[in-house]
Amino acid sequence: MSDNRSNEPNGAAPLKYLRRITMPLIRSGEIRIAALSGALLIASLGPRIAFATLGEAEMSVHSDVAQLNASIKSSQDRAGYRVHEIQLPGGTMLREFVAPDGNVFAVAWNGPTKPNLRQVLGKHFDTYVSAPKPKFADRRHVNFQQGDLVVQAGGHMRALSGRAYLAGAIPAGVNLGDLH
Amino acid sequence: MALLGALRVCLGAALCVSVISCGGGGGGGGGGTTTPPPPPPTVNTTSVIVDQGPATGSGSVNTLFTSVTVCVPGSTTSCQTIDHIQVDTGSYGLRLLAPVLTLTLPVEKLSNGNSLAECTQFVDGYSWGPVASADLTIAGETAKSLPVQVIGDSRFTTVPSTCSSTGTQEDTVAKFGANGILGIGPFQLDCGDCDTVVHPQYYACATAANCVETLVPTAMQVPNPVTLFAADNNGIIIDLPTVAPAGAVTVSGQLIFGIDTQSNNQSGTQTVLTVDGNAELLMTFNGQTLAMSFIDSGSNGIYFADSSISTCTTTGLTTFYCPANTLSLGLSIQGANGVMVNNLVFTVGNLETMLNADPTFNVFPELAGTLPAGNAGSFDYGLAFFYGKRVAVAVEGNKTSVGTGPYIAF
Repeated sequence: MSDNRSNEPNGAAPLKYLRRITMPLIRSGEIRIAALSGALLIASLGPRIAFATLGEAEMSVHSDVAQLNASIKSSQDRAGYRVHEIQLPGGTMLREFVAPDGNVFAVAWNGPTKPNLRQVLGKHFDTYVSAPKPKFADRRHVNFQQGDLVVQAGGHMRALSGRAYLAGAIPAGVNLGDLH
Repeated sequence: MALLGALRVCLGAALCVSVISCGGGGGGGGGGTTTPPPPPPTVNTTSVIVDQGPATGSGSVNTLFTSVTVCVPGSTTSCQTIDHIQVDTGSYGLRLLAPVLTLTLPVEKLSNGNSLAECTQFVDGYSWGPVASADLTIAGETAKSLPVQVIGDSRFTTVPSTCSSTGTQEDTVAKFGANGILGIGPFQLDCGDCDTVVHPQYYACATAANCVETLVPTAMQVPNPVTLFAADNNGIIIDLPTVAPAGAVTVSGQLIFGIDTQSNNQSGTQTVLTVDGNAELLMTFNGQTLAMSFIDSGSNGIYFADSSISTCTTTGLTTFYCPANTLSLGLSIQGANGVMVNNLVFTVGNLETMLNADPTFNVFPELAGTLPAGNAGSFDYGLAFFYGKRVAVAVEGNKTSVGTGPYIAF
């Protein structure tokens, strides 16, 4: 609950450092090495590392990979943003969308179970889960918006999908329909 | 066995009459000392209703309910009939809300002695609680020592962080919107691979406050209860009448167990659509091919993406459609077996108009809601699909006279 995120100021400096050394590896296409080195470095930094994804720097993608015991399956540059596709151990696919300013502006998932939303939504998780149940809600839909935060989800047991994004952080020209 | 079964069933008052009238049901057959005449068929139908939901809930629309009777395994006296159990073809397993459960059901133990608990993930939240064993009776059917989940059990109040980190907790009747849920979709189990892959779903609890994710043998997982019936165990049929377009306060129909097992559940000339590995169909709407579509009694509306249709403006309703005039739209559905249903017409009404017309209505056949473009690829046809139809759902691996499950037929 009140976990490592309370140490964010301490984690900020190493994050910048990590980002400098791992980003060129990703660009050169050596994804596995990048993921591995990121995971090892994060692990070596221990609990002081700040983690969280939505709204955080791209380096938090690697923090997610380590925290979720996952692996980066692909990293792809698209027009206006970059997508990291992360395979979670249970089979769920998590995608994290990074804007040109280096911050994660959206996350999306699909699979048999949801990802650890506390991890991938970061500081926005509490906003999301503390909201009252909307009128006419059923068990198959989430269509949540509060301030800048949008969380939308659908599907059914054994096949769940969803996404979250910061409306004000979406880079110009990005089509919302592509964020899945 | 049959006598015991009859006694047990009759403790559930709501079901007693129907069971007596058929002579105690087909509780097992064996055990007689003389050759009996052919037993009368098991009562395989029970009533279902769409209404406002449980008294302690906050109201619901287009939500189908039934009643079940559960007993402590082997007991004929420790039994309880519970109403407002949601009938859900989009999930698997019987789950009961602990606040309404008066019985103490024994918690399943893994081979290492740890208690088994579950974090059931629904789209909008999670439900946490132990997996317990119960004898279920519904209609004249019984599933003995059925693994069921007890949600919000006071014996297991500490939710592991990997569970609570998946969303909002739904462990009270008000938050869950039902006294329980009967998941009777086209699969056998509530997890596809929890015997070989660890998910944040099943947990081994050395103590109630110390639960960690675990593998679990399939026999201990929470199954589609139908699969544990002695007979009529290959699927279900939901039979609901047509509802007036403006809606209704309630609508009642039948839940029938088994397909082609008795005279009242015979397949006819309906269309059989096999579902894929996610229990999904391929629907085509408005020129879009939507491969992650499904028909689902557990969805309370017709959910799809169409930016050309006006949404409601009332606060809290803005994700639902409010067209100026009622729309008739066409939809095609294709099964994994390649069978097509072309140009099925569905109707989208104005939710604000519906609600204003009669505030007591709980049944709205034309209620439709948006799916965000990011969830494109899906058309979620909810309970409205079932109004005025007889819909069969065959469980995976089971044969009927018209196909092999998993399929949906109508």
